[in-house]
Amino acid sequence: MGWEEKQVRGYPEFVETAQRYHGRPIFALFCGDKDAEGRSWCPDCVTAEPVVRKELHHMPDDSVFIYCLVGDRAYWKDPNNEFRKNLKLTGVPTLLKYGTPQKLVEEECFKAELVRMLFTED
Amino acid sequence: QEAAKYGKKVMVLDFVTPTPLGNSWGLGGTCVNVGCIPKKLMHQAALLGQALQDSRKFGWQFAEEVKHNWMTMTESVQNYIGSLNWGYRVALREKKVTYENAYGEFVGPHTIKATNKRGVEKLYTAERFLIATGERPRYLGIPGDKEYCISSDDLFSLPYCPGKTLVVGASYVALECAGFLAGLGLDVTVMVRSILLRGFDQDMANKIGAYMEEHGISFIREFVPIKVEQVEKGTPGKLRVTAKSTMGNQVIAGEYNTVLLAIGRDACTRNIGLDKVGVKINEKTGKIPVNDVEQTNVPYIYAVGDILQDKLELTPVAIQAGRLLVQRLYAGATRKCDYVYVPTTVFTPLEYGACGYSEEAAVEKFGEENIEVYHSHFWPLEWTVPSRDNNKCYAKIICNIQDNERVIGFHVLGPNAGEVTQGFAAAIKCGLTKEQLDSTIGIHPVCAEV
Repeated sequence: MGWEEKQVRGYPEFVETAQRYHGRPIFALFCGDKDAEGRSWCPDCVTAEPVVRKELHHMPDDSVFIYCLVGDRAYWKDPNNEFRKNLKLTGVPTLLKYGTPQKLVEEECFKAELVRMLFTED
Repeated sequence: QEAAKYGKKVMVLDFVTPTPLGNSWGLGGTCVNVGCIPKKLMHQAALLGQALQDSRKFGWQFAEEVKHNWMTMTESVQNYIGSLNWGYRVALREKKVTYENAYGEFVGPHTIKATNKRGVEKLYTAERFLIATGERPRYLGIPGDKEYCISSDDLFSLPYCPGKTLVVGASYVALECAGFLAGLGLDVTVMVRSILLRGFDQDMANKIGAYMEEHGISFIREFVPIKVEQVEKGTPGKLRVTAKSTMGNQVIAGEYNTVLLAIGRDACTRNIGLDKVGVKINEKTGKIPVNDVEQTNVPYIYAVGDILQDKLELTPVAIQAGRLLVQRLYAGATRKCDYVYVPTTVFTPLEYGACGYSEEAAVEKFGEENIEVYHSHFWPLEWTVPSRDNNKCYAKIICNIQDNERVIGFHVLGPNAGEVTQGFAAAIKCGLTKEQLDSTIGIHPVCAEV
């Protein structure tokens, strides 16, 4: 098969989607919300997204790629938001392999080599 | 990583040959995966169990009986180790160090063959090589050992609670594992061939053993296993161990859920083609002799870590030796690794920190009349309220009378021994004398003030 992408917004939608695909390799990219013109308030996310998308074809077959918008800047800055509390995210963008300790944070997401390593590691 | 810093092209070959039971792990070596890290975390789990008991005396009220879940602990520990494995992968990549998960062996001068887990072979050449292959647990060589017994390589990721356990061995690995398993509430017996903690100060070793015995760990002394049979399959199953006395013909048998072997570790130097490039090893022990700049008898091949002959087998020693070696090779430095006065800690239920000579070694080197031993029992303040032992914690220093009563040995038995020892190790390296120690005012109320 190949892989498929799901776009979600907010924590409850993310959790529901991740649970739905339990059993398949799940990779998730967390970014700040985008405005009406499609630009995110998070400049690093703007840089990282195309780098990550270019490497998606390296994901193993049957993977699910969840593109998740976390919320606006104020929500993200709150130290008690659900992403920080439950998923232990420390920054955006974060690219992770769900259910494992493997993740790339902020500038690490700009490096195609590291992204590829995350997608192909076993 | 250090060599890459100086612009060298570097490759790392790391491969874990699975244990007899099929267990393997990620990048990071023994310490990270099946050594110091999981050991200290599980030791901490056991200490927390004790703290929960003590807490009632300090006023904490909880009705339920406190139980321990092995799977919860193991999952958290393995998760942390996974994040370390991943961290190293990212770090190597960022520093442009090539990493191959493949088994490396020499096939000719300056040439190495790397075989990955699928059996694919590749050849690599390099100007210089550094061997740091470490050691693996030794097996007894008796019927049933590889099929039914586990080692420290398997313990920290065991997918079921080990249950009633027999630990064979009296090394620090054996005692630390026995210690935390008992601390988690398991029925633990330790089978010892002769003495405890060979190479360590025997006065301290005996105190550690006595403490463990008084706190529920059984010891079977002067016996060695001769056979292990499976009585029942399961996770855990039931095993019958037959053992013979080292002093006569007496034979005993016992049943346990798990048998953990911790009788020593053997260097991984026999199957890496060292003979093909002429690197001399000690045929009996497998260890590699090196000069004081970590060079083997072949000038372009170096070695660090547990595989070195006559050097301390400790992670920080290996790391320091490796870093300094690279700095000497590529950054013009001259500093050599100092293997003297290296502090260590054994994380048994009563922790033991030491730096320098044991009492026996000091007597042998300087003569009994030239050393003075100062010692003291102490009762940690935190132990008073919950009525824990008031005469078990102990500290002693060994001084060289002929050299201004310089402190040449430091030994402490008590909580947080590692933290206490670290500072004293720096002082000893600076040439601490008894007088300086006496004139240092203590912090109160802490154990270290003794």
